[in-house]
Amino acid sequence: MVRLGGVGLGLRWDFLEEVVDGPPLPIDFFEVSPENYMRRGGYYPAQLEQLQGRYPLVTHGLTMSIGAVAEPDAAYLRELRTEIERTRSPFHSDHLCFSSAGPRSLHELLPLQQSRENLRRVAERARRMSDVLGVPFALENITYYVHPGRPELPELDFLMGVLEASDAGLLLDVNNVYVNSVNHGFDPRAFIAALDLRRVVEIHVAGHSRKPSGLLLDTHGAPVADPVLDLLAFTLEQSGPRPVLLERDNDVPDLGELVREVQSLRALYDESLQRYHAAGA
Amino acid sequence: MQQALENLFADLVLGPPPSPESLAELCRKHLVGADDSAALSESLERLRVYRELVRGNLREALGLSMPRCLSRLGPLFDEYFDRFLSEQAPRTHYLRDVTPEFLAFCAPLWQSDARVAGYLHELGRHESLHIEVSALPSLPRGYVPAPLALERGVELSPALRLVRYCHAVHELPEDETSRAAPAERAVSLLVYRSPEHEVRYLELTPLAAGIVERLLFGDTLAAAVQEAASAEGSALTEAVLAGAAKLLADLAERGVVRGPR
Repeated sequence: MVRLGGVGLGLRWDFLEEVVDGPPLPIDFFEVSPENYMRRGGYYPAQLEQLQGRYPLVTHGLTMSIGAVAEPDAAYLRELRTEIERTRSPFHSDHLCFSSAGPRSLHELLPLQQSRENLRRVAERARRMSDVLGVPFALENITYYVHPGRPELPELDFLMGVLEASDAGLLLDVNNVYVNSVNHGFDPRAFIAALDLRRVVEIHVAGHSRKPSGLLLDTHGAPVADPVLDLLAFTLEQSGPRPVLLERDNDVPDLGELVREVQSLRALYDESLQRYHAAGA
Repeated sequence: MQQALENLFADLVLGPPPSPESLAELCRKHLVGADDSAALSESLERLRVYRELVRGNLREALGLSMPRCLSRLGPLFDEYFDRFLSEQAPRTHYLRDVTPEFLAFCAPLWQSDARVAGYLHELGRHESLHIEVSALPSLPRGYVPAPLALERGVELSPALRLVRYCHAVHELPEDETSRAAPAERAVSLLVYRSPEHEVRYLELTPLAAGIVERLLFGDTLAAAVQEAASAEGSALTEAVLAGAAKLLADLAERGVVRGPR
């Protein structure tokens, strides 16, 4: 099985061709949105195939809607499994959220009520997902701008409860923790310190934006902000080596700029792990 | 409770801009408990953020796939976008499939709306075919082409669509600001993906379209040519047979005809 490590980059169509046609890049792995390649032929799957063997690939889905009341769509899961096999992804992740309401597909990551009922339902599904998909399964903590109704549980208890009950991995999005900490007023370091970091299989970082109201939005449309970099360093010093991924989905700059940002993250990654190992020693 | 909240969220993001009153009404409609309703009512501004995000994603997907159709619809697009979201909403996991769903929803409505030009649905369909055909599945690997045979069907590339228009929308300028009207005439257009993954367009004569259509249905080559000629009121003359042979050779060169089925 492919093992991920170091710092990777979310693969986007904006620069896919450049990656395929260009020289080897100092990027340790690429993360792929499988929905962009599933159930289709043509140029993009052909390009992705060119990357096989040149870089490790890992899949990160968007539309499983694992938290919705309705079961995840069986046809979607079959196609997803095929795509995971094709990319030889070592694991698959999606978001701890819902993105559909009955037959309506909303194409956005919507927050689940942090309730015991939801914890049980999502955990039961996440536990099955490794068998369904043929690889280990991980859930990502999402950004939420509003909690739907009164929470029965704090976010931390809800997240860890789902992971423990399902034995799923955690895709820890550090930017999401930071954005939520600002929007909902908590200490992001305390949040991360309280997580069971042994469950972390990958870490995401991305840029965010601020609305005039002060609300932070998880836009993936800017370089990673300094407080998020600090939080990433803090996380790695606690967790030890975990693959880190840079996400950029909007206002995507040229590939050279993204590679420089990955390299800068790599320097932070190496320094953080030195501190991790020094503390361990 | 999750079911109630899902439906509430869906109505909020897909429906009209929420006000404190409409939010309270939606909470009642979906039987959201008093505690949760009270919490939601304190977060109306942030709930509106989700509405912007959902609608922004979907609007962008539609705009990317049929920019000229949207431009020509002008403010009418918003009206039909709102109706699509509130009366049906996307069903697909794939953003690229939202446009065909939107067009299927609008087709009967536009037909009876005098404000919408008669050719606009065809233009939208034509534009959206670019993404649709670029993404159609390819033939399985290991397929070995062989010479055609009259008594067998013909394996066509699965990455194609044969469409018929009542207007020559494929001849309209690419310029989104153009308001030129298309010629009103019957058009049969083969939209296919080349082996180099480029989407290409080939206008077919009625006879050629008839042959391709029948081959797509699985007819043998002989039956396809015979029935297409008959439908056009032609006998199987030398000229018809020569034309069919030329069509198949041309389609083979374009990667559309792959061999016998």
